[in-house]
Amino acid sequence: MTLELPPTRQSLDLSATKFITPEKPDKSNRLASTKAGGKMVAQYWENIFTAKERGKHVVWYNGTALNPIFQAAGLEWCHGEAFSARLAAMHLEGPAQAAGEEYGYIGELCSYARTHLGCAVMTQKGITEKQSGIVGMVDQDELAAKLPSPDFFVNAYAGCSTGQQWDAMTYRVFGKEFPLFNVSLPMIWGNKKDSGYLRGSEWEKTPLYVEEQLKKLIEFIEYQTKTPFDWDALSENMYYIKKASELRLEAMALCAAAPTPATYWDWVASIAPINFLPANQLLVDYFQGVKDEIEQRIRDNVSAVANERYRVYFDGIMNWNKLGFLTRKFAEYDVAVVAGRYTHDSFWQEPDLIDLDRPLLGMAQHYLICPINHGLKIMEELLLKRCDEYGIDGIAFHSTRTCRAMTNPQHILARTAERDRGIKSFFFEGDVADASFYKDESLESGLVAMLESIDQQRSKARV
Amino acid sequence: MDVAGGVSAVDAAGAGAGAGAGAGDGEWFVMGVDLGSTTAKAVIVDSGGRMVASRVVQMGAVSREGVRVAIEACLEDARLTPADISRTISTGYGRRLVPSADKTFTEITCHARGAAALSPGVRLVIDIGGQDSKAIAVDDDGLVDRFALNDRCASGTGRFFDVLCRALEVDLDEVAALALAGGTDLEVSSMCATFAETEVISLLAQGAETADISASVHRAVAGRTLGLIAQVGKASPVVMTGGVAKNPALVAFLEEALGLPLEVLDDPQIAGALGAALIARDEHAAALADAAAALADAAAAPLRFVAVADVGPEKQVIPGNAVTAPHCADCDGHLDSHSHRPVSVILQLGPVGR
Repeated sequence: MTLELPPTRQSLDLSATKFITPEKPDKSNRLASTKAGGKMVAQYWENIFTAKERGKHVVWYNGTALNPIFQAAGLEWCHGEAFSARLAAMHLEGPAQAAGEEYGYIGELCSYARTHLGCAVMTQKGITEKQSGIVGMVDQDELAAKLPSPDFFVNAYAGCSTGQQWDAMTYRVFGKEFPLFNVSLPMIWGNKKDSGYLRGSEWEKTPLYVEEQLKKLIEFIEYQTKTPFDWDALSENMYYIKKASELRLEAMALCAAAPTPATYWDWVASIAPINFLPANQLLVDYFQGVKDEIEQRIRDNVSAVANERYRVYFDGIMNWNKLGFLTRKFAEYDVAVVAGRYTHDSFWQEPDLIDLDRPLLGMAQHYLICPINHGLKIMEELLLKRCDEYGIDGIAFHSTRTCRAMTNPQHILARTAERDRGIKSFFFEGDVADASFYKDESLESGLVAMLESIDQQRSKARV
Repeated sequence: MDVAGGVSAVDAAGAGAGAGAGAGDGEWFVMGVDLGSTTAKAVIVDSGGRMVASRVVQMGAVSREGVRVAIEACLEDARLTPADISRTISTGYGRRLVPSADKTFTEITCHARGAAALSPGVRLVIDIGGQDSKAIAVDDDGLVDRFALNDRCASGTGRFFDVLCRALEVDLDEVAALALAGGTDLEVSSMCATFAETEVISLLAQGAETADISASVHRAVAGRTLGLIAQVGKASPVVMTGGVAKNPALVAFLEEALGLPLEVLDDPQIAGALGAALIARDEHAAALADAAAALADAAAAPLRFVAVADVGPEKQVIPGNAVTAPHCADCDGHLDSHSHRPVSVILQLGPVGR
């Protein structure tokens, strides 16, 4: 006896999955030029660690890229998220997070903040191997505890309630003994009739409010350092950032080519330079080098992923513990992750806004277009724009466990991409600086299921 | 029924089981294997897309032995041997552990395909297995449109109900009956199996009725599943697959939460394996069609082309003077130098030198 089933459907090319083979060769081909960025970043942190010995004022800050101001003021600057990300990328975040948790900042708190607050705790107390009882603990602790204490703290967080309170938390950890300055960055709601990305009455007014605060910030810094601010130096810094940003965007645009010559992971590796490294010719040279290599790859027909078959957009802040791992994982499935909200819409991505004669306004505008500071309408506009620019087939939503600001709109964005462009997507859990939230099976199931859906879609389109 | 290796086959009553199909002239068979976190399922489908045998084997954990037992029992029911199976596709958490699989697919694709075959016109599939939950929106063609997976927590899955049974000290069969008899909503957390167990113990200590506790846990799971469904969009008809579909209390609470009737398949656990088998059937049929077309092309221009086709156990060669080594269409390796079963297809078409 047999069970009669309905007629078999059309034959489909469902080839996302592979024959089962034990060996998994690395099919990713990362840019070589980004290695220079790694050296620059290492040098930058070594410089921070010796700041006090050199008699420099140290500012801790978080949120947006205020560093051109700090650089012009002759300060040494430590970006909280950047240091947390560095620890996570080196798999050394554990001791800082444990110290933060011991102090009271538990796992639900943003892991950037949690790690950095843990560093603040550790900066103030020496931990010996004898005390910890754990062999190797001192080595791990050493880096996390290496930050010099701040002389003052500046908070400039857009779109995130945890970030906006981070300064007050740090203030308490340091015994309420240093001054704070908080830059308020209002949400760009985008819900007025004339609203849109970089347009409308809301966009015209809000940056002026922030520009005024930046002027007050500079007064605050002058008071703290007892030194007049160097406005020419600020313009000079912004010149280098503008130039670097232009090169970066030109290089990114080249990745619309299929197969792509560089991927999202290369842009992740290039975040530190554009986000917080000193603005100077080295920064420009770095992005010139990246662009040159990409152009060379296009000439030589070299792709970033062997056998690129799917072009994917990555939504969510990077899972710093997993940079190399995820690079290989996506490439294993012939997926080129070509663009992302974090890499493409977060760091000086509108260089035309930078006016060297009025640098603070352009800076204010950039701080307001942080990708977690928009209302939904603008976020949808940006997502679809990127998907069109890069010929996106699917979206990987990194459901960042402790970053509600980045995660909150993701399901709506997924629906918009599907509705307006027929773009498939999947979600996987993880976190910016806490590896414990990542589960490989979750990524694998979602990714492969999405690729199978794309294959089905392509087969249907062919019929 | 006890079978070899001490593994219990809890359901050997799949359609056609024991009836025997046998391999006749021109007929071929394919297999789908679903290795889940607690059960192994195998389904055999014939060249016409008809299911001829199915097996579900309870294991306790992802198990190669369970797969072996399920496959062997399924073959026995169909009166087939492994050599009669032209293609095997595996799915499920343990899909990579199925040694005879030619290819793997996710449970999402396979459950959608299986459910759509068993319930034509379905638009939403809810699959709750031992370890995870899925909501799958299905399009007009019975293919996956959108999907949502539960996160890393096993809340609302078969494992979650195991935890509930342990805390209430009842069998799995009893817990659903208890839930249907319960009334008061005790607002149990649905977020985490571990927390839910703690909550259940706490409620027991407070003197709550076991029926109310069971009902509350089922209600919480239904609510959590509703959250998954919201991610893909509510649609009807709805089919429920996976082992938890056999829990009538959850079905009832889910229907209440959804506001829609739920169709539960006769054997909801085999949907994934059936879907895998049907995809295998499609692929093999397409490969045969490609091979036939290529052979026809070659025959039409015998002096200019040669073709070699390797279809299952039979090999056809159109003679010529420029035959290159045959290639497997799937891995592009030489057929004589690797272990893949020759799957189909035309292998080489090339101009003949003059």
